Amino acid sequence: MTVQPLLDTAITDSLQTNVDLIQRIMGQSVDFIKRDFDFHQETNRQGVCFYTDGLISNTELQHILKAILVHSQELPAEILLQADTVEELKRRLMTNCSLRAIRKIGEGVDGILGGETLFLIDGFAEGLLVVTKAWESRSITEPATDNVVRGPRDGFTENIRTNTALVRRRIKDPSLRLDSLIVGTKTKTDLNVAYMEGIVKPGLVEEVKARIHKIKIDGVLESGYIEELIEDAPFSVFSTIGTTERPDKVAASLLEGKVAIFVDNTPVVLTVPTFFWQFFQASDDYYSRYWVGSFFRIVRYIAFLISLMLPSLYVMLVSFHQEMIPSMLAFTIASGREVVPFPVLVEAIMMELAFELMREAGLRMPKPVGQAVSIVGSLIIGQAAVQAGLVSPFMVIIVAVTGIASFAIPNYSASLSIRLLRFPLIIASGMLGLLGFAGMFFIVVIHALSIRSFGEPYLAPAAPFRPSDQKDIVLRLPWWSNKSRPSIAADAKRQQDGAMPKPPES
Amino acid sequence: MNVRITNGMLLALVMNVIYAKAIGITQGIIAREVASDMWLSTLIGMLQGIAAAWLTARVIRMGGQASMIDIASKAAGKWAGKLIAAVLLLFFTGAFATVLVTFTYHLMDYFLPEAPVILFVVAALAVGLYGAYHGVEVMGRMAFVGVFSILILNILVMMGSIAEFDVKNLLPVMDSGLARTVWASRHFDTDWSLATMMIAILLPHVKKPQRWGRASAVSILFAGLTVAIWPILETGVLSAEATREYIVACMQLARSAHIGLFLHRYEMIMVAFFATSSLIQIMMSLFCASVCASKIVGVNDYRLLLLPTALLLGGTGYWIVADHLRAMIFTADYWPLFAVPVAIGIPLLIGGISMLRRNKEPAV
Repeated sequence: MTVQPLLDTAITDSLQTNVDLIQRIMGQSVDFIKRDFDFHQETNRQGVCFYTDGLISNTELQHILKAILVHSQELPAEILLQADTVEELKRRLMTNCSLRAIRKIGEGVDGILGGETLFLIDGFAEGLLVVTKAWESRSITEPATDNVVRGPRDGFTENIRTNTALVRRRIKDPSLRLDSLIVGTKTKTDLNVAYMEGIVKPGLVEEVKARIHKIKIDGVLESGYIEELIEDAPFSVFSTIGTTERPDKVAASLLEGKVAIFVDNTPVVLTVPTFFWQFFQASDDYYSRYWVGSFFRIVRYIAFLISLMLPSLYVMLVSFHQEMIPSMLAFTIASGREVVPFPVLVEAIMMELAFELMREAGLRMPKPVGQAVSIVGSLIIGQAAVQAGLVSPFMVIIVAVTGIASFAIPNYSASLSIRLLRFPLIIASGMLGLLGFAGMFFIVVIHALSIRSFGEPYLAPAAPFRPSDQKDIVLRLPWWSNKSRPSIAADAKRQQDGAMPKPPES
Repeated sequence: MNVRITNGMLLALVMNVIYAKAIGITQGIIAREVASDMWLSTLIGMLQGIAAAWLTARVIRMGGQASMIDIASKAAGKWAGKLIAAVLLLFFTGAFATVLVTFTYHLMDYFLPEAPVILFVVAALAVGLYGAYHGVEVMGRMAFVGVFSILILNILVMMGSIAEFDVKNLLPVMDSGLARTVWASRHFDTDWSLATMMIAILLPHVKKPQRWGRASAVSILFAGLTVAIWPILETGVLSAEATREYIVACMQLARSAHIGLFLHRYEMIMVAFFATSSLIQIMMSLFCASVCASKIVGVNDYRLLLLPTALLLGGTGYWIVADHLRAMIFTADYWPLFAVPVAIGIPLLIGGISMLRRNKEPAV
């Protein structure tokens, strides 16, 4: 039975009818609480309030009820006959900062389920929804991903308002706008679209909202749902929407003309558009000295190349092109492989899968056990497999270096994409040598070149080449030289000329 | 096809489309004709290419900023357009065969001698189809990666071979005489002819028409300069006598390059960079041939004809590449006789017809 017709019903002036309707809709849930009270003894009017236990502040509710029970009796009877009585009640009785009058049962039910308290009074065809939201939530802690050595330690939580406040604390400017949307027919998840008016790429906010409005799904439990439902390249292994748990990263994105999407109940905030190169940028690149930031960024690019290509290059060289390996190195590899009964391709896939297995097991197990699994697993599998002659020592080194390199990529989803791409590259290299490696690599490159993130080419500003945006791609140039925002921003000016510091003239 | 690319993308595409075959297969053929004057022959070919590219761009701009096929249709009727499209389809089929010769012999002869030819053809077609399917904008972006690869490759080969360079190998200059040197440049002409015919199809989709002539000419100039390093190094390091003995002369130069004692062979790294240019040649040949085929059949979307065109080009290419002797006779003897007249003749013919029609039209 659908409750939609009941939800669309208007609130009537009969308290009993309204209560019956709400109880039919809500059923017998134990956390759904109904509380009766005498509203006005002189006119014999009853009142009732509904709320969800656990989602509201009991203290707050007690204050409201106390105010109603004491002061409602003092109301002159003629006030209760006026047309704008609810407005009068709002003014005279409710001292809460946030409340609103409603006319539909559905609005009341949504409010109750969202942590508000619904007040219905006999004789009034309107209800009052009072914001009494208060539930247990995690406090602000350091984010689990995107860790930094230098920089703020606060991370987003599961509370959308806490998250937007963390960004608002960083950008104290009225042009920071937060537009509210609700997605999910059952979950009615709150979404906030954040942007800087005047800086955001023209048309981007409308595009983001249009895509979100198109979502027709029963539930949104995490921002990953939204990510998959609004991205430009749904079949791609690459993530075309940025994700972060760091408020400073979101603030930086907004200041560069991007849009952030906050989703309630998750600490992961989405940013659009996103470029491939951003996945190699860490927050502390911008907080450390630019020499250090640039150096570590180059290290991350090297890590990316190692993570993507090292196993496939090794498989290709050892399987097909041994003459390309320097002689001494070739002898070392050959001696290690002497007792290994498998082709290099099988050996590589076995080891890569074992590594992924250990990583996954370490992640899913309870923390103390998980650490033991990853350490013991790597020690035992690595050492024992070499001693048993199942894999060569060189392959263990290759897989270990590749694994470490993949962890050096700051963005977790980008790291996962690269890990996935590694396998087709290994298989193509192991089966067709240089031909397979080159063919598969170019297919990946063409694919990356063909996709977009909210209309922006994914590999920009490298391809297509945008000279003005090169200051923050491979190198992180000093802040005083970074005078303009990225070219997608509507307002290009970031800072005035002459920002380079100088010693005082003596 | 409503996509517009920049003049920079056009430049990158032209450089890539010329580069891969010109540095090796072409130089070996030229060396067999004019020995140490191969670098001069290449530079003379480059000058001809600059003129041809400028002419092609001029004809397209004069003809109403449409492709050469559409200009022919407008100037001489629908069937004339289809005829030009058929000639160009034939051109791109031949060009694809020479490109496939380059791609296959680089990889097969030097890295995978036991692999069957069909494997290279299928791999080239698979990557080419994937790129061509995504259209000219993606290929244009890929060409930027290609230009980066070309620069790296040139730097690597110079680093690895400059120590062995002997300027005496380049002497005496013009030993073969001017006429023979100019005549030998027809082999490099076949390389830029692929670029100018690509321009003939692609130019209407390039932004800023006022820059078309200069951008096309400069593209050939840049491509010629990046190619010219190779015959100079091949002559100076290997000597013309050694260069002429090889089908893929550049691979011999790459194989002899070394940096110190530990990195004594790194031709595979160089081939990885070379593959970008070669695969862009393959994609562009497929793309242009499909556009021509779509004009013949009369469909708007070239993608519908990508697969049949790939089968035609792949089949022809395989037949030529499968036999080394046939491949070299085709590339060295027959292909220049077809490619160069087409590359020069079609712009001249269509430009002439357009001018005649313009003169005949009554003044309004």
